[in-house]
Amino acid sequence: MNLTELEKRVVLMEDIQAIADLQKMYGYYMDTHQREQVVSLFSEETESIEIESTGLFLGKAGVKRFFLDNDLLQPGEKTVPAWINILIMMFQDVIDVAPDGKTAKGRWNTWLAEAMPVEGIPRQQWVQGYYENEYVKENGKWLFKKLYWNVTFFTSFEAGWLKVPLLGLLNRPDADAPAPHFHPYPSGYHLPYHYPHPITGE
Amino acid sequence: MATLKELQARLTRLEDIKQIEKLQHAYGYYRDYGDWQKVVDLFAERDVSVEVTDYGVFKGKEGVRRFYIDLLGGGADKPRRPGLLSIVFQLQGVVTVDANGKTARGRWYGMGMEARPTASLHEGEFRQTWIHGIYENEYVKEDGKWKIKKLHFNLTFRTPYEEGWLKVPVVGQHGPDALVKPDAPPTAYHPYPSGYHVPCHFKNPVTGK
Repeated sequence: MNLTELEKRVVLMEDIQAIADLQKMYGYYMDTHQREQVVSLFSEETESIEIESTGLFLGKAGVKRFFLDNDLLQPGEKTVPAWINILIMMFQDVIDVAPDGKTAKGRWNTWLAEAMPVEGIPRQQWVQGYYENEYVKENGKWLFKKLYWNVTFFTSFEAGWLKVPLLGLLNRPDADAPAPHFHPYPSGYHLPYHYPHPITGE
Repeated sequence: MATLKELQARLTRLEDIKQIEKLQHAYGYYRDYGDWQKVVDLFAERDVSVEVTDYGVFKGKEGVRRFYIDLLGGGADKPRRPGLLSIVFQLQGVVTVDANGKTARGRWYGMGMEARPTASLHEGEFRQTWIHGIYENEYVKEDGKWKIKKLHFNLTFRTPYEEGWLKVPVVGQHGPDALVKPDAPPTAYHPYPSGYHVPCHFKNPVTGK
C-alpha cells in the first residue's frame, strides 16, 4: 500500500460524500424554492430530468425550463405562496462511482409531506418514490447529469395509498416528451437497480 | 504523525462502515420489491440468522432462505400478489466495526408503508398500514465483502392508516407460521406500548460505557 493507492481510496470516499451532499443540498434548495440554486447544480451536459408524470425534459435547456418556469406559480405570481409545501426527504443512498472517477450513479429513497394545488384545489399529500440519478465530476466538482425520480404513490393525507394511489396527474405541456417511465402503484413496476448485487455481482 | 500503515487502517474502517451502510440500504431496496433471492444472497454462508417481528428465529443459510423465500414470498415460484406494497425505509444507521475489522454491528430504524393482508400473511383483504421497527444487526466480512450475519427487526408498531399507533398499535400479529416453522421461538417480540427498549449495541462515544 503506497501513498498513491491510499490517495485514490481517499478520493473515492470524498467523492461519495460530495455526491451525497449534492443530492441532499438539492433537496434543501427545492424545499425552500431556491430554483436558481437548484439549476446551478446541473451540468451543462445534463442528459434529462424525469419527475413523476411531469414529463421528460432534455438537456440544460430542459433543466432551466423545468425548474425556472415554476409550475407552482399562478400567472403573474413571483413567489410561491407560503401554504405550498414542498418537502422531499431523501435517504438510504447507494452511490457507485465509476472506476475512472468521472461519473457516478445513485439510488435514493424519498418520502414527501407536501401541500400543493392538485387540479386547481389545495391538497395535502404523502408521496413516496425512488431516485436513480447520475452525476458527473467537472473541474473537481460533482454535478447532476440526470435526475430521475420514479413515483410509487402520490396520495392524499385523507385517503392513503391503498384507497387513492394517485391523487392527480402533474403532466406539464412544456415537456419534451411524456414521462417514459410513469408506472405508479399498484402497477408493481420495479425501478431497475443501477448497481450489481453487492455479493453475487449479478 | 501517523504512519502509512496506521492511515490505511483508519481508512479501511471508514470504507467498511460505508460498505455496510450500502449493504443495509441495498437490503431495503430488494426487500421493498420482494426480490427475496437477492435478499438471501446478502447473507454470509455460515452462522447466520434472521428474526423479524413475531415470526421466530430462522437459523443458517437454509433458515434464512426459508424465511424470505418460503415464508414471506410464499414459495420460490409464487408471483408477487398484485397490489401488495411493503416499503420500509432503512434509516439512521449507527455502524460499529469491531477492532478485528472482521465483524460489525448496526442499529437502524425501519419506517414504512404497507398495503397487505392482516388476517393472514398471504390471503385476504388489503389494509394500508404504517410500520415502524428497530434493527439491531450483525455483519461479517467474508472473502473481502461485508455480509449480513444476523438480522433482527424488532417491531414497534404496525397500525392501520385509518387508526394510528396510539389507537391500534399492532394489526395482524402473525406469530410463528404453522407451515414455515422457525428454528426457535421469537426472542424479543415486545411491540409498542410494552415500554420495551431494544438494547443499543454501541457504547457511549463520550464516556465509553
